Amino acid sequence: MRRTMLYLPGNNPNMLLRGHLFEPDGLVIDLEDSVSAGEKDSARILVRDVLRGGEFGNCEVTVRINAADTDHWRNDVGAVVPCGVAGLRVPKVENPQMVRDIDEEISAVEARSAIEPGSVKIFCLLETAMGVWNAFDIAKASPRVTAILPGGEDLAADLRTSRSREGTELEWIRRMIIVAARAAGVDALDTVYPHVNDDEGLEREVGFIKQLGYDGKSVIHPNQIPVIHAVFNPTEKEIQTARRIVDAAAEAASRGLGAVSLDGRMIDAPVIRRARYTLMRAGLSTDLEMKG
Amino acid sequence: MESMDFKTSQAGTLESMDCLVTVTGPSDVRIIEVSGGSASRFRTAIELKVNEVLDGMGCDAGVRVTVQDNGAFGVVLGARVEAAFARYRGGALS
Repeated sequence: MRRTMLYLPGNNPNMLLRGHLFEPDGLVIDLEDSVSAGEKDSARILVRDVLRGGEFGNCEVTVRINAADTDHWRNDVGAVVPCGVAGLRVPKVENPQMVRDIDEEISAVEARSAIEPGSVKIFCLLETAMGVWNAFDIAKASPRVTAILPGGEDLAADLRTSRSREGTELEWIRRMIIVAARAAGVDALDTVYPHVNDDEGLEREVGFIKQLGYDGKSVIHPNQIPVIHAVFNPTEKEIQTARRIVDAAAEAASRGLGAVSLDGRMIDAPVIRRARYTLMRAGLSTDLEMKG
Repeated sequence: MESMDFKTSQAGTLESMDCLVTVTGPSDVRIIEVSGGSASRFRTAIELKVNEVLDGMGCDAGVRVTVQDNGAFGVVLGARVEAAFARYRGGALS
């Protein structure tokens, strides 16, 4: 699950070593915006060593590297890929070629480091109008791509607007990205909610992206984690309904029936798939069987 | 009168769980100075770590290394020493 992915500044030992204690689903160790230009070298060493020896609980650990138009990104890849990261979050992806370039570099480092080829995934940050426009092609550019996500602040600048609490400026961006992600078969993750003291606004925004179909959201403050989990976690009623649907479908299948009725409603493949997804969200099943 | 070119490089911060490492040289011998709240209890461990990192980086010149510690774990101390000495040496980071 990727309900919450918490950003940790790459040059801050306190956060790097303690971030997982807040129990997000994932960590995004940042070598980009939160690290000043003069500290890139020091942060890269620190992140490398913490990745080698740190404890991260059950979190999926990723690193946001510097953008492909900088002198830093190849050094970032070379430093962190050998340390066993699950993935790299790549900023300012605008076209499929950028993904292929990153893929090629990761492949070279994997080969040098005796890491299983293809094991390091790519999370593509779409932070320009061009990147969003090319979202599907970017998501399909490499089998490493596992998620695409908008970068709210940069996108607002590129769109010549600003971030609002209502998220008006990102509304269609979010819709475009969820469609592209589903068509490409990758996750859709949302950008951060920058107002760290506005739980009500955060809850409203998470409710919106959940309804669109998003898998989770980037997080900039640990206090946002429980708020987001509460929205994404299924309610007890949803879990009970999902259980009954899955059980009814299993029973129908055992009797050789293709469809079944529950509480007067036809239970067909999409309904079963959603029910399984609900149970997976509740941590009660890992068997999504999305093709079913 | 012969002049000597002194260099100073730093890495790290004085934030919690971090340390500020300063490398100055040249020096006749390697000198390690430790200060901060944990200096009295962990001086030996800190000195061992500094020596381990410098030896690992092939440091055979005399330098003065100052560690201002604010509760840094060994992994953080090692990273800061490596960054500070790499900056001092001016070469590519390992």
